[in-house]
Amino acid sequence: MKTTILILSFFIFCSKSFSQVNCYIYPENSRERKACELSDEALKYKQGSKESQLLFDKAITLGPKFHWAYYEKSVPYFKRGFLIEGLKLLNEAVKLKPLDYLWYRAYWYWQYKNNELCIKDLETYYAMPKAYIQFTPGGEKDMRIILGLAYAKTGNYTKGIETILNCLNSYKTEDDFGFADYHSLGVLYVKNKQYDKAIKALKKQIIINKDLADTYYYLGIAYKEKLDLKEAKKQFKNALLKFQDTNKFININAGFKVYKSDILEAIEKLE
Amino acid sequence: MKMKTISLFTIFLFFILSCNNEIEGTYYENQIGDTAYNPNTDNKDFKFCDSTNVLHKRALIKYNGGEKALEAELLNKFVFNPKFEHFSGYFIVRFAINCKNKTGRYRLQTLDSSFLKTKPPNQLSEHILSIIKSLNGWNHPFYKGKDLDGYSFFTIKIINGEIQKT
Repeated sequence: MKTTILILSFFIFCSKSFSQVNCYIYPENSRERKACELSDEALKYKQGSKESQLLFDKAITLGPKFHWAYYEKSVPYFKRGFLIEGLKLLNEAVKLKPLDYLWYRAYWYWQYKNNELCIKDLETYYAMPKAYIQFTPGGEKDMRIILGLAYAKTGNYTKGIETILNCLNSYKTEDDFGFADYHSLGVLYVKNKQYDKAIKALKKQIIINKDLADTYYYLGIAYKEKLDLKEAKKQFKNALLKFQDTNKFININAGFKVYKSDILEAIEKLE
Repeated sequence: MKMKTISLFTIFLFFILSCNNEIEGTYYENQIGDTAYNPNTDNKDFKFCDSTNVLHKRALIKYNGGEKALEAELLNKFVFNPKFEHFSGYFIVRFAINCKNKTGRYRLQTLDSSFLKTKPPNQLSEHILSIIKSLNGWNHPFYKGKDLDGYSFFTIKIINGEIQKT
């Protein structure tokens, strides 16, 4: 995972400094080449600015088959709550190149809480023969973890667990595990009332990354359900301590987030 | 002769105007999401502290008690009406917050379960709008040591006319 994060950081750095596409792959004077160069120009302006959006429009007019311009133009709309406008653009990119954009649309479906559409796009994506590993735009989670969480959000915990297990089993080394992947697996086991498996997964999470308060909370829930109230209380208190720790790890796209009030409530119920 | 001049001038004027409109029907604010005051819908008392620097950083705008508390408040204030029953879909709520935690410039988008634009029952939109206007636990962005204004948004999911926990 550390290697992946490093590689991703490098790409994020590069994408901020340089173009994300190589315009030279398109024939000189072709519509795509011109559209690509205009999109490149658009990236020099602040994302979502009038200047950049107008340049993307020009790119789309010149090269209507240049998918990347639709995608880039859609991003600020999604980030700022303009879902209708964002989808109108991104749907064009998906139509032109589903392999590149289906997972990204799924990510926004997830962000805007439409788990059914997220699942539909990711199932389509992973069924494609050339589908490859994809991460959330922030790089913190494999999109297969998001798919597993989305299944769980629709109540299908078994399929969620199976999806996350398949994802983790596909990694060649333990270094490839994300900083909260075993946490996600453990939470789904808790939701599915498989408490022994939950405890095993959450303990493994603590070995990989011990700084996630939510992990101790769910561990506490699992012990409580197994009627080991002493251990449950200990874990809830660990959760509270970690929650107050300034170095705690923030689990982005958690799906099943824990709040301080949840932890306090759990402690209170045990006392 | 006079008619010919007028015709030529009209054609010239049309040409010039066409050049200025880079793409027909496209208008952009300086930044996507900049929301101008609408006297018909917006509270005239809502003012930005510095309208030249309103952030588009949603992650910096938080609700007291987080999303859990926000959803609980929405659910608590929501009153079901049988007229809502046939509606399932999503409200995307955009709003602005100033550096004093006052909110305004609310805008709604409504989509059906397939995320296609849809029109909900008027009474439902009005009810949702009145609830979101009553939320007072929002916190303005604090960024690079400064109290700033900002824009944010959140999603409300509705199934058969009832708000859902997400």
